[in-house]
Amino acid sequence: MDVAADVFSYAYQYFDNIGFLILSASGLIIIFGMMGVINMAHGELMMIGAYITAFSYHAGVPAPLAIIFAGIGAGLAGMVLERLVIRHFYKQLLSSLVVTWGLSLMISQGFLLIFGPTILNVPTPFGNFPVAEQTFGIYRLVLFGGALAIVAGVWAVFTFTKFGTHARATMEDPDMADALGVNTRNIYVLTFGIGAAMGGVAGGMFALTATISPFFGINYTPLAFITVVVGGGANVITGLLSSVMALASVQTAVNNLVNVYVGYIAMMGAAFFILLLLPRGISEYLERRKIRTERKVSRSAPA
Amino acid sequence: MLLDVSGLTSGYGKVRIVNDVSLSVEEQEIVAVIGRNGVGKTTLMKTLVGLIRGLAGTVEFRSQDVTRMRAAERAQLGIGYVPQGRGIFARLSVVDNLRMGEQIGGRGKAPDYDRVHEYFPILKERQAQKAGSLSGGEQQQLAIGRVLVGHPELVLLDEPSEGIQPNIVQSIGEIIKRLRTEVGLTFVIVEQNLDLINAVADRCLVIDKGSIIARLDPAELADPEIARKYLAI
Repeated sequence: MDVAADVFSYAYQYFDNIGFLILSASGLIIIFGMMGVINMAHGELMMIGAYITAFSYHAGVPAPLAIIFAGIGAGLAGMVLERLVIRHFYKQLLSSLVVTWGLSLMISQGFLLIFGPTILNVPTPFGNFPVAEQTFGIYRLVLFGGALAIVAGVWAVFTFTKFGTHARATMEDPDMADALGVNTRNIYVLTFGIGAAMGGVAGGMFALTATISPFFGINYTPLAFITVVVGGGANVITGLLSSVMALASVQTAVNNLVNVYVGYIAMMGAAFFILLLLPRGISEYLERRKIRTERKVSRSAPA
Repeated sequence: MLLDVSGLTSGYGKVRIVNDVSLSVEEQEIVAVIGRNGVGKTTLMKTLVGLIRGLAGTVEFRSQDVTRMRAAERAQLGIGYVPQGRGIFARLSVVDNLRMGEQIGGRGKAPDYDRVHEYFPILKERQAQKAGSLSGGEQQQLAIGRVLVGHPELVLLDEPSEGIQPNIVQSIGEIIKRLRTEVGLTFVIVEQNLDLINAVADRCLVIDKGSIIARLDPAELADPEIARKYLAI
């Protein structure tokens, strides 16, 4: 029985870590992975989502709806940022880093001035369930499920819709997409908005587990970047999933063997080694292998 | 007159690459633009498509002034572009690449995949594959097929023979002629391959240093003296 409980606890932690990483990175896979914008203010978009969730919840809005509001609010904020600031810095990696870092400071300090250092938290719903001697939070499983649902939704939008095809083509070659009649300006705004909205939803979901402050975002931005870079931009979905599975397995194992701090460091170490071996991320490697096999197949097929 | 260009000047920043070019193209004509490397042929094409803003002059398409229009608007009016290097989206599947052409010639019209598959059956066979895995010749067919999914009236082809086996160059030439008679398309083709020019073009414009310096009959290029003079081959 003890062994079974330990196995369950291990699996629970693994999925908890996966869910955490996916949610942290979910918006950034679009904004950085697909669009190539280093948005240091991504955590602040998540923070905006957390504030909207908390204020809506305390105004009597049910939590799930409050989280949807968070997505809408952060998405709109993201679109405004794209139009006013970000669009001037596409393809300028260092400038976009500095500019969005500045934005991140302005947004968090602005929230500090307006709302003060903390606001009323939102209680974590659903309570706990016991397995043998240990108890586990139910909401953590909801986070994991929500993370998977977001990934599935993004994949569906970018795979099956006309907008998705236009967006993928625009990110690969904006001039060619333009010359084929696609309004690339709209594609950039909408794509950035979707990434920001996903960040807002993630922030809203985390708001139910964490202390909400103007510096809420700082907890997530570094992890989000590491996850996305390890995954690579060639295929953001396979990249994200392979990256979180690899990183979370290292983190969970070392957490249990040593402790949480060493686990965090071990995860960073794992990211470092993966990038040494596959500098452009896991998905770049997988996609290139796929193209190579398809090429072989089409050569061997009768013409 | 389908395309009417007058005094067109363009370039990058303040560097003028295309200088005071005037030309006009009738419906269902095939016009070749020839010249040595680096004389501004591709820049001219990009300016006609709208990817580079003209610094002076006008571009009229079907008597409508499109000089100030973005590339996307021109495409929706019916200008199809097949760039040098083919410009396929390597990470998208073949069929997604074709879908990208649906806007050409007006978004209201239904895309015509049957027509594309009739001219380029290989694209149906390979439709689920990533476009980056196609051979050079297949990619060229995809780039032309992508334009044909929509309803273009004018197709701008930039070096369609580049990096392609001679027998496929020949079949692309055949298809260009068929598209003119069967679909009623008009072509402006930048090309260095004299065989292809001879096979398809009604007339040739020779460009040097960004300006049109001669207008030739394609048959004249058979004279090695003339070919050497304008193309340095």
